[in-house]
Amino acid sequence: MTESTTTTNARERILSRIRTNLPAAVQHPDVPLFEVGGDKIANFITKLESFDGKAVRVATRGEALKWLAENIRSDNRTVFSAVAGFEGNFEINDYTDPHSANTVDVCVARGILGVGETGSVWVTEESLGLAACALFSTDLYLLLDADKIYSGLHQAYRAIDLSTGRYGSFFTGPSATADIEAVHITGAQGEISLTVILIG
Amino acid sequence: MSQVNQVKLGAKFIADTPHRVSHDRCLWEARMRRDRVAAQIPEWEEMRRLASQIKLHTLSHLDRYLEEFETRLKENGIHVHWAEDASEHNRIVYEIFRDHGVRTVTKGKSMLMDECGMREYLEARGIDIFEADLGERIQQLDNQRPSHIVMPAIHKLRGDVARLFAEKLGSDPDIDDPHYLNSVMRKHMRENYIKADAGMCGVNFGVAETGTIVVATNEGNADISANVPPLFVASMGIEKLIPLQSDLPLFIRLLSRSALGFDITQYTSHYTRPRRGQEMHLVIVDNGRSRRLGTPYFEVLKCIRCGACMNTCPVFRRTSGISYDAPYMGPIGIVLQPSYDLHRYAQLPYSCTHCGSCGNVCPVRVPIPDYVFYWRTQIVEQHEDRLMHRLEENGISLVLHSSTTLSHAEKLGLWALRYLPKSLLNSGLNPWAKDHANPEPPAETFRQYYKRISKENKD
Repeated sequence: MTESTTTTNARERILSRIRTNLPAAVQHPDVPLFEVGGDKIANFITKLESFDGKAVRVATRGEALKWLAENIRSDNRTVFSAVAGFEGNFEINDYTDPHSANTVDVCVARGILGVGETGSVWVTEESLGLAACALFSTDLYLLLDADKIYSGLHQAYRAIDLSTGRYGSFFTGPSATADIEAVHITGAQGEISLTVILIG
Repeated sequence: MSQVNQVKLGAKFIADTPHRVSHDRCLWEARMRRDRVAAQIPEWEEMRRLASQIKLHTLSHLDRYLEEFETRLKENGIHVHWAEDASEHNRIVYEIFRDHGVRTVTKGKSMLMDECGMREYLEARGIDIFEADLGERIQQLDNQRPSHIVMPAIHKLRGDVARLFAEKLGSDPDIDDPHYLNSVMRKHMRENYIKADAGMCGVNFGVAETGTIVVATNEGNADISANVPPLFVASMGIEKLIPLQSDLPLFIRLLSRSALGFDITQYTSHYTRPRRGQEMHLVIVDNGRSRRLGTPYFEVLKCIRCGACMNTCPVFRRTSGISYDAPYMGPIGIVLQPSYDLHRYAQLPYSCTHCGSCGNVCPVRVPIPDYVFYWRTQIVEQHEDRLMHRLEENGISLVLHSSTTLSHAEKLGLWALRYLPKSLLNSGLNPWAKDHANPEPPAETFRQYYKRISKENKD
């Protein structure tokens, strides 16, 4: 079904038309690793807050877990945790239908790295446990090692290997929209609040 | 099909002061924010130059990169389809859905799917498509095409949305607070996400080296549509490719800053493989692009669909995207649409004041102002121009032909300003006078003045 004959022919016809019409060859330029000045952790926090995200700084992973335990209520709320040492009450396995994550109120997960230039946190399907939990949650908490913050996007992309992953995303503040009269609204269809717990 | 009359449609929007004022303000604020964030980056202009060069490089090796991209996608377990045109694209998507028994689809924004008229095609075949982006959903519910490529309902006021949501989604018609309307949308879409059989979205960038598609959005709707259902179908124009992962940061840095003046979108998402238990398809679409590659205006294929040219355009800001009655509107629209249908869109390249601003803000330096002239030439050569334009152009050509005729025309103009009655000068015979007052006639023409002054100085 997927690669039907007509589609294969379409492929050949498209590629052949492209070859006929190729413009004069242009060299690929060398792209410098543009640096972003200033303190990268301070930049990260400022930018995250400009996107309505919150930052919490703790010294150790143990303190981070303690902070989560003290600040996340699980009574009458569905909590999913992808972080070892912090228990939720929503369990997943390899067969969990992501639709069921619609009931998740709180999601706790790991960030892989951060970007000072934009206040973004790189998350992956693995670091989130199940991406649907983070996307459907009301409140999302991401744990991030402060020494994994890179100054800019050029540096961050150097530390990532897209070829090995499935889903990976720069999450920058909670979901937002400005589609009605350009009024900025925090909390559109994904998470309504995003807190990054910076460790170290 | 009849010809789109942007001037006439635009005049309707201009006459509607509250809508026009709000529209102009929203877009101009985005343009001003873009200027502020661009000014914070010392290498901004160098980034534009590099991004343009990477796009030119990719386009000049497009066959090779598409093959590399396809190889990686297949290795990564993504089903690849090729579509020559819109109808083939729509048929492929429909067949995937039919074979999977799909009834309900939630869909992130895609200009390409709009270009293909996909939603109407699938709806006619019994598949429920829910536009999941707020602006797109507003436009879908209102049965109107998007008016802007990143802010689809920006020509509407909150009251319009409140009335629409009240009628279609049963919300309170008396509350027009955008926060409330957003919460109505959130609740409404949750009901659809949990029953969605498939998700769809467009593609901002395809990375040939890794076989990754990159999607930049704000609301979370595209990520939910891609990550929740068991089937994910994305569509991508052949020109969206970039060669390397290391090229990506340049484009990500430019895209959202140019579009809305923010450093990045809330979700900048990368899909290299289907998630566990999911089937993923990518439809690679030509629909005229490979033909454009061999034309003098092939650099339109560099466009990354940020909308910066629209936000800055003095015509667009006052007339709205609705007045272009086309999938692509504003400056990029008037140089893109004629390549789909020269007759239908022959008037669009005249909706331009030649201010050149679109060319100055474009993050990949598409020479839009040059292409406006290109298309006007084509339109005249293909005899698609209007009589009025032809008369104007022939008249101007005659007058500018020699300095003697120009000198006579100047004197004639001065004579007309002095002696013709106002009723005639301001009549419909002089369309210029509709929005301008005629100047007070000066004592002499500039040429007469210049000659006199030169002579006096010599003496």
